[in-house]
This record gives sequence, C-alpha cells and structure tokens, in this order.
Amino acid sequence: MPLSILLPMVVMGIAAIAVLLHLLGLSRQATLTNAEAARAAWLREFPTDAPIHVTLCANRSAALIASETGRGVVWPMGADTTARYLTGARARRTKTGLRLDLPDYTAPRIHLTLDPDETAAWQDALKETA
Amino acid sequence: MTDMITFPDVVNWAVPLFIAAILAELLWIVIKGHGGRYETRDALTSLIMGAGNVASGILLGFVAYGFFMLLWEITPVDLGTSIAVIGLCFVLDDLRYYWVHRFGHRIRWVWASHVNHHSSQHYNLTTALRQTWTGTFTFMMVVRAPLILLGFHPAMVLFVGGLNLIYQFWIHTEAIGKMPRWFEAVMNTPSHHRVHHGRNPRYLDCNYAGVFIVWDKIFGTFVPEMQEEKVDYGLVHNLGTFNPIRVAFHEWVGIFRDATQPGLTWRARLNYCIMPPGWSHDGSRETSSAIKARHVFRNPDLADTPGLPPLPDHKP
Repeated sequence: MPLSILLPMVVMGIAAIAVLLHLLGLSRQATLTNAEAARAAWLREFPTDAPIHVTLCANRSAALIASETGRGVVWPMGADTTARYLTGARARRTKTGLRLDLPDYTAPRIHLTLDPDETAAWQDALKETA
Repeated sequence: MTDMITFPDVVNWAVPLFIAAILAELLWIVIKGHGGRYETRDALTSLIMGAGNVASGILLGFVAYGFFMLLWEITPVDLGTSIAVIGLCFVLDDLRYYWVHRFGHRIRWVWASHVNHHSSQHYNLTTALRQTWTGTFTFMMVVRAPLILLGFHPAMVLFVGGLNLIYQFWIHTEAIGKMPRWFEAVMNTPSHHRVHHGRNPRYLDCNYAGVFIVWDKIFGTFVPEMQEEKVDYGLVHNLGTFNPIRVAFHEWVGIFRDATQPGLTWRARLNYCIMPPGWSHDGSRETSSAIKARHVFRNPDLADTPGLPPLPDHKP
C-alpha cells in the first residue's frame, strides 16, 4: 500500500478511535472504593508484602501503603491500578496535591490529587521514606 | 538464486480491516455491556505502538531482508512458489514463530522487545496491535534462516509471516468465548491466547502458538483457560506510564541498568541479558518458575494442576 494512503489512514484511524472512546465515557480513571480495594490493588502487584496500614485519600483516587518492606503508593492507571514502593521518591507540592518523582523508568511521575491537609500529611510520611 | 519474486504486503493491506474490527468490537462491548473492556489511553498507546511497529519495519526491515537475500544467494535449493509450497512454508513458519515467541518469554534480551505486547492490563483488539519497535535488535531473524536455506524464497517467508500476524489479530478479544471443539484442539483461539496474556502464576509462560496450538501441545507448554481462574491481564509488575517511548524501551533500560551495576562478574552481566526475565545475580527477584513455585507453596491444593508445578519440598 502506498505510504500516501497508509499514513493518513493510520493517523485518522487512531484519532477517530481515541475520540470515540473518550466520547463514550471510557476515559474515566479507576477509583479505589475503600481501603480493602486499595489493599487488594497493592497485593496484586506485591503479593508477598501485605499492607500493615492503608491511607486512602479523600477522593479515593490513590492510597498510601505501609508494609513491612516500606511505604508505597497505589494509584490509577486508566481504568486499572498499579503500585510502587516509594524508596528514593521525591515529593513536590502542586496546585492539586502532590507530584511524586520516582527513580523508576516505568513509573517516573505520579500526580496525586489531594486536599491541603492530606497533602501535608502525605508529604510528612514521604519524608520518612526518602 | 537471484530471481525477483514479489508477494503483497498483507499487513499494510489489512490496516483498514484492523480499524473496522476494532470499531465493531468496541460497539459490541458498548451495546452488549460485556465481552471486554476499553480505556482511552490504554487503547491509544496500543495503537501508537502498532503504528510505530509499521514505521520500524519500514526503517529497519532492510536489515532482515538483506540477511535473507544473502542466504538466498548461497542456497542451492529453490522450492518454487506453488500453492503447496506456500502452504508448507506457512506451517513451518508457524513452527518458527512458536520458538521465537518462546525465546521471547524465556530470554530477557528477546523479552525486552516482546514485553510491550504484554504491557496492557486490557485484552481487546487494540492489544493485538501493541507490537514491538525493537524486534530487529533481538536478532531473532536467524531463526528464519533454515526456511530460506531449505529453498523458501525470502519474499514468501515474509508473506506467510504477515499472514500469521493477521491471523493472530482476531484472537485478542474477550468477545468470543470458545470456538468449536475441533477448532480449539488444532488452532490458536481467543481462549488459548487469553491464557497467554495472563499474569496469574498459572498462566505465565505458556501457549506460545501463533496459528496452530498443536505446537504447545507437542512441546508441553499448553495450559487451558480454566473457568475457575479468570485471566488477570498485564505484566507481573504493571507499568505506571502510558508513554509509548517508555513502553517500547523500558526493558532495554532495565537490562542496561542491571548489567552495568558495579561489582558484578562478567558472567552475571551476561546473565542479566540472556537468562529468563526476573533472574538476578543475588536472587532478590523472581522468575516465572519461582513465582509458580511460591504460588503452589501457598496454595498446596493447586499443585500439579495445569500450568503449575508439583508441591516443592521446601519453602521457595
């Protein structure tokens, strides 16, 4: 197939599918319904390191985890979730909460939407980890 | 052997079919309310990976093709281009695909290229297009060398490889449950391939087939989809980014970081490249075999069931 046909078809096809998905409401992020859901999301990534304590943020979009190994965070990856330990993480305040920079090529940056009290509390907790 | 033979570039011609099928699957899921899941950024990443795969083929395809033409120059055998020869080439190339795919899961250097195909937590037709950008660097084109030396023209080998890829597109769906029994017995199907994309310990490293599932049955790597264990899609450690560059290169970066750690022996550095994913010089990580052994140790009733080993004698 000539590139002059293939290229526009690929670009327009990708754009059309992405717009359609968004219009169908399929861009919604996962929410952690409760602490138990956050715990399950953590164990899905680290099945041998059970959480000792789970701090679910007010809008239920993320959770701070304390386990025997250390602190970690669970957060949404689109409609799903993932989790990481916070070893070596740097936290910066943003207008909407915190930005975590991790020394991890597969999860370099996590944006957390937190209220002001939570932001301060999470920042304190993260200082203990770094 | 210098004769010029051309075959259609079937993968590029199939692009409109891919787009139409994705739209059909999406509408089916939305209307029926079951049969799979879609998410905008996940699908967008998969589609961009697919486009990048086509682009890398255009940019780097000459490396493999040049290698194949070199082999074609030296082989004294030419099997021609009859329908029977094309059919035989298709079957043998599928056997080639099985082994390349198996190496892709068991050798970290090859996994670095293939891992992106498994990096979605979704399983739909866009996942089929989440293809590698770095396949050339695995040097797995050498596994095709015997086909050329046996007398199959390089253009034919690439043609049947394209057909193989197109076949595998439709099996990346949850909208189809099981196919008829005879079909499930011989062919790779959505059910068999869902298992291949599972991150459950039971489903790790199995069902490597492209078109014919019989290869897995012959070589002992077949695991059926179990009704009592739903497939959990994605990687053992799921990615925390949708950035296609990071999706494409993250395992290569991981290999580089591991192999260049200070204080390692040269053997350990090599092993970070060629041992199965999860291998580490100090045993601090888990390979799929270790994950399965640990899972069985914690769930003894699952020992020796499909995809899982017998109960270990001691704690893994």
